[in-house]
Amino acid sequence: MKNPQNYSEEHLFWLKKRKKKLVLVQSLRVGLLLFFLLFWELSTRLGWADPFFVSSPSRIGATIASLYAEGTLFYHIGVTLLETVVGFVAAVGIGYSVALLLWWSDLLHRILEPYIVVLNALPKIAMGPLIIIWCGTGSKAIVVMTVLVGIIVVIMHMLSAFLETDENKLLLLRSMGAGKRQLLTKLVIPSSRAAFISMLKVAVGMSWIGSIMGEYIVSRAGLGYLIVYGGQVFKLDLVMTATVILCALAAAMYFLVVLLEKILVKNANH
Amino acid sequence: MKEKILTFENVKLIYHTVRGETVATENLSFDVEEGEFVAMIGPSGCGKSTLLSLAAGLLEPSDGKVDRRGSVGYMLQRDELFPWRTIEKNILLPLEIRKKLTPEAREAAKTLAEKYGLKDFWRSYPSELSGGMRQRAALIRTLAAEPDILLLDEPFSALDYQTRLNVTRDVAGIIRREHKTALLITHDISEAISLSDRVIVLTRRPARVAHTHTLDFGETDPLKRRENRQFSVWFELLWKELNT
Repeated sequence: MKNPQNYSEEHLFWLKKRKKKLVLVQSLRVGLLLFFLLFWELSTRLGWADPFFVSSPSRIGATIASLYAEGTLFYHIGVTLLETVVGFVAAVGIGYSVALLLWWSDLLHRILEPYIVVLNALPKIAMGPLIIIWCGTGSKAIVVMTVLVGIIVVIMHMLSAFLETDENKLLLLRSMGAGKRQLLTKLVIPSSRAAFISMLKVAVGMSWIGSIMGEYIVSRAGLGYLIVYGGQVFKLDLVMTATVILCALAAAMYFLVVLLEKILVKNANH
Repeated sequence: MKEKILTFENVKLIYHTVRGETVATENLSFDVEEGEFVAMIGPSGCGKSTLLSLAAGLLEPSDGKVDRRGSVGYMLQRDELFPWRTIEKNILLPLEIRKKLTPEAREAAKTLAEKYGLKDFWRSYPSELSGGMRQRAALIRTLAAEPDILLLDEPFSALDYQTRLNVTRDVAGIIRREHKTALLITHDISEAISLSDRVIVLTRRPARVAHTHTLDFGETDPLKRRENRQFSVWFELLWKELNT
């Protein structure tokens, strides 16, 4: 590679063009959002659409402000966030452990395979009434729902990654005298790192589905509750507000995973 | 008389699948002496890799005996360096697995790596090395565990021709200089001739020893052997033996 000082004219031009394109993409991204918000706002002000049905950015802002004034804004966000994060961590933790166990024991894997497939196909919301009866109507039921929605995906994703470990590398380690435990710690787990990250990304989405679904069914607090409540009393401002906050939270959690990915990949150089 | 490092005695191996059984090898007997470089060639599909797994003790023979003095070091077609480990960590891996990672062993491995030009790459990742360098690192990884016998499973076949000739010479030179015992399994006749002291020709499945030849080049450099007049004579002979 040449030093930046010695770059040719052509290369400098190429760099400039590339940067221009990046700026264009970034500004159009932001522009698209601003245009959408502006159009939304104007169409309700100019009477093209009824704000009672579609709400508007300013009304969402006002709703957030009033929730904040009532002191319930962060309460609802906190409840949902806690349920989601606890459910996410539990689903990933338990699911990952089960996947390890199934990798370890081929017999267990074969015995349980059809059950896992069926559980994966089952719409988890069908378990709603059972969960309420078993776990009550509090946050516990919602966390259980979140775990249920996420865990099977975690198990299937990680197990298939574990089973795809390079046969030759396994052979090499065995020829060095490695036992099953060493195969796991030296090869199977580190080589499935990329799959782990992609699993986390899927699991984040699943956790939000689980917690909001759970709140639809039972809750007395949280963003899902606000959406259901807002829908029942026809306060669509509230529905929109909760949805927008949800959007922001889900995006934030996803970017945390992307950040984790960057750290892991940087350390692995892989 | 030199000590026998590896002995196969009337070895039989049956391969089981749902569709039936296959006798991979039967009545297979040969041995490898200390310091010897033995090459095995056979028609494709005679179960060459299976033989190495038997030699390494990863498979138990159905009948007969495999006797092995000491530890084995395995080298595969690809370098199989772990991409998430530095060259240092890759080279120390077998010591780590065997729980022999003492400061002395670590130092010895480092000295070996430096001797063979890996000093500058010690903290690099495999992706930063060329194919030839990676294969060399794989060899040093194998040697760092101080194996009594090296098992080479077509270790050069994944490289392009140019690199392959150079790496073959490189690896062979290191093995000779370190006075290592080696068993190479390959389908490449010229590779067998250019590297080994003795060539064992196997039959079709079930694999047995068809012929054994001692190569008397008086020369161990693979490239110089290739230029030798005897080279083509051996090639023709082995070619015929493989195709009968």
